Amino acid sequence: MTNPCHTAIGYGLLGTALALGLVLLPQAARAEVCAIDDRDREVCLSAPAERIAALSPGATELVYAAGAGEKVVAVVAYSDYPPEAQAVTSVGSHTRMDLETLVSLRPDLVIGWVTGNPPEQLETIEALGMPVFYIEPRDFEGVSHAIERLARLADTREAGERVAAEFRDGMAALAERYAEAEPISVFYQVWDEPLMTINDNHLIGKVLTLCGGVNVFGELSRLVPRIDDESVLAADPEAILAGGMGEENRGWLTHWEQYPSLTAVEHDNLYFVPPSLIQRPTPRLLEGSRLFCEQLDRARGKR
Amino acid sequence: MPVASADAMRMPRRRSLWLPLGMLALLGLAALLMSVTWGSAALTLGDVWAVVRGEGSPLARTLILELRIPRSLSAFAVGGLLAVAGALMQVLLRNPLADPYVLGLSGGASVGALAAMLAGLGGALITGSAFAGAFLSTLLVFGLAHGTGSWTPSRLLLTGVVVAAGWGAVITLMLAISPAERLPGMLYWLMGDLSYARSPWPPLTLLLAICLLLVPLGRSLNVMARGPLQAAALGVKVRPLEWTIYLVASVLTATAVTTAGSIGFVGLVVPHMLRLVLGNDQRLILPACALAGGSLLVLADTLARTMIAPEQLPVGVITALLGVPTFLFLLYRSR
Repeated sequence: MTNPCHTAIGYGLLGTALALGLVLLPQAARAEVCAIDDRDREVCLSAPAERIAALSPGATELVYAAGAGEKVVAVVAYSDYPPEAQAVTSVGSHTRMDLETLVSLRPDLVIGWVTGNPPEQLETIEALGMPVFYIEPRDFEGVSHAIERLARLADTREAGERVAAEFRDGMAALAERYAEAEPISVFYQVWDEPLMTINDNHLIGKVLTLCGGVNVFGELSRLVPRIDDESVLAADPEAILAGGMGEENRGWLTHWEQYPSLTAVEHDNLYFVPPSLIQRPTPRLLEGSRLFCEQLDRARGKR
Repeated sequence: MPVASADAMRMPRRRSLWLPLGMLALLGLAALLMSVTWGSAALTLGDVWAVVRGEGSPLARTLILELRIPRSLSAFAVGGLLAVAGALMQVLLRNPLADPYVLGLSGGASVGALAAMLAGLGGALITGSAFAGAFLSTLLVFGLAHGTGSWTPSRLLLTGVVVAAGWGAVITLMLAISPAERLPGMLYWLMGDLSYARSPWPPLTLLLAICLLLVPLGRSLNVMARGPLQAAALGVKVRPLEWTIYLVASVLTATAVTTAGSIGFVGLVVPHMLRLVLGNDQRLILPACALAGGSLLVLADTLARTMIAPEQLPVGVITALLGVPTFLFLLYRSR
């Protein structure tokens, strides 16, 4: 009753078992690395990442901060920091990636941006077999945590943990220093047309609070509310801080000088904060926060 | 008048029907071939041929079989669907300005898609939500245009235009209150973009099925294009035919919009372009629209993803840039 069919299945099973063994053995030898991403999914790589694609300027900064800059093979437009990142191949803008170029670069780890990248493109990337690790730091601890996780995936733990600790300690030191600072009402301007600010849940709002400031629009429900001049006049902040488009742009601040009745104008408390230091959740936020706090201190000095 | 209608009724000679369709089919094949060989990753014709024969490097196989071919086929299907839907709407409403979106279908679909994006949903849920919006808009326009009185094309058109304006306001409101980081994705969807396309087979199957379904209706559509009174006098059941056209055009548009967002221009201009060249025989125009619309969108999408690669342009920009001069040239030359 030896059925040739059974024999074939038997050989098939044996073959599969052998093949599995052959595939699994070297993988067990190479250390598997895992980390939980910001969409709460566990991402596991059979070996530490060697070719990383960072799909947002912030992700690029974080990967470099994690000590894995050498392994970055793809970035997106506006990935201008650190300067070395500008030499890496771009795969288009973060809102629309050139998947062909990305696939051709054969990344073994893709760092996605939860709300910034188009979900359908990230789904396609995963379907093509490239693991996607989503990050989106929403607070100071999130920055350190993201760096530590990226360092684990890229096997650069020593460098990454050092940078993460530096950032964590630096922010803690700032928090301690300004914990007792006198409250000062602040309006932070993200954009001029339309006029936009941030609420207390925004990362910049958290910097503002850290420095002892009171965000006059902190209670608004939207993360980045659109407001008008009138509401700024009504709130009458003691200081106005603005980002801008370039690094030297003070044009947005001179706009407020047409309202001499504003306390901030009267005391000449119109300050510029380079947006690159404060608008990205990266280790540079520490420097931006220091600057932010110093400017609020200067405003306090004019009372 | 009798002379004119007799002229319209005359069977076109066989050759004059097949020659243009054959040429357009060749154009379509050439466009597909070009889009499969062109891309930001440099692949030679030899690489493409190797993949077609089942060989080639894994990278080339991924690029061609998983990225380029599905996207090109989706583009062809969407372009064909939009052009056929536009031609049908122009016959139904007897208005040269009619396009697939004139009755508010893309507005409904856009509201559905943007609502899904605002809620942070992705992928298939956006598609489903867009289809639901398009379906809702169709029912709304159809029900309201029916109203208590008679169902006339002008009443349908007005209802559709007003409903579309309403959707437009909702879209603007959603854009105004949406978080800044979601705006780019929403704008791309509104401008139409093939990177939303998933499997090309549903729209392609639908396009083929509808083209076959419309073949027996060709003669009635020709009569319809002359006006409902004449059509009724010539024995066409006008009301059921109008409903059929409306429903078919809606399904075509809804499928196209949910596949790739609201790509403008193709549905308006391709039918007119073909009428200028081939005359107004629906038996020829409808399949020709499927082929020409598909080819135009395949070409436009290829340019959109390669022109300033790695940056990707929205395909709607290119369809207009290619189509406007061609159309104006044909219009200028025609008497």
